[in-house]
Amino acid sequence: MKHPISIIFFLCFLTFSSCKKEVKSSQITQIREEVTKTEKTVAPIAALISNLEDSKDNQVIVVAHRGDWRNAPENSLQAIENCIKMGVDMVEIDIRETKDGQLVLMHDETIDRTTTGSGKISDLTWEYLQTLQLRDGIGHETPHKIPTLEEALNLCKDKILVNLDKSYSIFDKCFQIIEKTGTQNQVVIKGAIPYQQVKSEFGTYLDNVFFMPIVRLKEPNSREIVDSYLDSLQPVAFEFTVPQDTIKMIEYFDDIREAGSSVWVNSLWPPHNGGHDDEKAVLDPTIYDWFIENDIDIIQTDRPKLLIEYLRSKELHK
Amino acid sequence: MKKYFKRVILIGLLLIGFLLKGQTDSTRTSIILDHLKNPSKDYILAVSHRGDWRYAPENSLPAIQRCVDLGVDIVEIDVRLTKDGHLVAMHDKTVDRTTNGKGKVNDLTLEEIKLLRLKNACGARGSRIQVPTLEEIMNLTKDKIMINLDKVEGETVKEAYAILKKTNTVNQAIFKGRETVQFMRSKYGDLLDSIVYMPILIDNTENPVKFVEDYNKNLSPFAYEVTFETESSKNFKQIAMLKREGVFVLNIALWDALVAGHTDEMSLLEGPDNSWGWLIENGANGIMTDRPEELLSYLKLKGFRKLKE
Repeated sequence: MKHPISIIFFLCFLTFSSCKKEVKSSQITQIREEVTKTEKTVAPIAALISNLEDSKDNQVIVVAHRGDWRNAPENSLQAIENCIKMGVDMVEIDIRETKDGQLVLMHDETIDRTTTGSGKISDLTWEYLQTLQLRDGIGHETPHKIPTLEEALNLCKDKILVNLDKSYSIFDKCFQIIEKTGTQNQVVIKGAIPYQQVKSEFGTYLDNVFFMPIVRLKEPNSREIVDSYLDSLQPVAFEFTVPQDTIKMIEYFDDIREAGSSVWVNSLWPPHNGGHDDEKAVLDPTIYDWFIENDIDIIQTDRPKLLIEYLRSKELHK
Repeated sequence: MKKYFKRVILIGLLLIGFLLKGQTDSTRTSIILDHLKNPSKDYILAVSHRGDWRYAPENSLPAIQRCVDLGVDIVEIDVRLTKDGHLVAMHDKTVDRTTNGKGKVNDLTLEEIKLLRLKNACGARGSRIQVPTLEEIMNLTKDKIMINLDKVEGETVKEAYAILKKTNTVNQAIFKGRETVQFMRSKYGDLLDSIVYMPILIDNTENPVKFVEDYNKNLSPFAYEVTFETESSKNFKQIAMLKREGVFVLNIALWDALVAGHTDEMSLLEGPDNSWGWLIENGANGIMTDRPEELLSYLKLKGFRKLKE
């Protein structure tokens, strides 16, 4: 600092910065109050389904990746319950099968990271899994248990849409549970495969649950894949991965919406959204404007609370 | 004339600067330190474990800044030495769980560690956040929040002290450790009198009465961290003794065996009166938590956040 004036400004900055802090904490209290207010309004499932089916309205669907994993163990009933209270529209959960045929919620192939036990889920029995506790986000034991798909669907019933990940190859078994719990109209399945293959492998379920194709926009024939789906199945939505925000297909999103399918893009990591990801949005929520401006109406996020607050401030989420 | 005018403004600004500076002489950290030295039921301290790791990666600058914004009093962080002698914030011995890299902290140089990116809780990828050094942390938190240094005991007290001296924050960091006062004295001598030191009374401390007596005679710490597996643990009885002497007691509500089940999770599942409230009733002056936001709301609601003027 060469000049005395810069020292004075620095001093003033130091003293005023303490005032700024107070403003910040009062803002947080305000946000908290707003969230507690909205926590009480539980969206009825009929409204969620009609919003999912309507590709032309301006309401954005918020999907919580692995449930509310910040505040409860990932893929736990509590993580789903938190999403319901938060006003999340769809919860993404991962399904795997035990050695003895029980369908449970588990992300990894092994139970090592997220539970107090160890081993591959396909080598373990449901009896053993019931003796374990789930771990929280930094690896500490919690009182929560590994849920079955049936428990999870019973909790979701009439309250929140469900995306079952890792379930394509075991869908016959999943569908039995879906029927048993009466949650057919709430379930979304996704797959990165062309229409002909889905039709032959999955045909019997196409009328019963929502199937969404995943299309990777770095692939040169992505336009053809989309068109073939639009001409045949007319899916409720497409999931796109968007490695760069300069990809030409983005301009096609509004036509896809007009044709009757919603557009799903993840805000999770930069390669999903050309660098408009949740971690950037924490620092500056207007990052989410990129989704809105590009006609994306379903967003899967690791920051459901932040995204919902932002969308509500723009009247894009009820 | 123009020059004269400029000078008047300069002097005016200088005066305003000094006046405002005088008002903020008692910084947030000095107020917190005062509450540690003079514990009272009017103000229970909130201590955040590894920063607000539900919001940003554990032991990261944003997780610490978040605690400042929430109004947390103390943030607990873990520090380890790199191969080339820098103290960085890292809980595990290796960087495997919390970053996108692999290897032991003490096999990596600071430059190598700075190339890594931290993961969020649950191993979620995508953050661009780097592993911070202790120096960066002290510069960020200076006068705003106190730091509780873990993993330094009997190992890196000297290195950490050097950073605190350099950043002029010696009174803003609390060292802690499970070793006896004899061990600490023989290893660090007079340095112990220059730092804020909080002994930890853990459940396998063989003779807690003697542990505390020796510390009180030799160092007279104003704060202890106390864990107890059950209500019949010897340590639990020590809390009442420490309270009689007006010593600050910090409880660790992270998991069952540290607080006889009166954890953060119990607060959420069975209501905070049964866990955080119970700890306060039984002598806690401060609570270390994985739920800083919820703990602060509860403490405010119960009138445990009345700051001394």
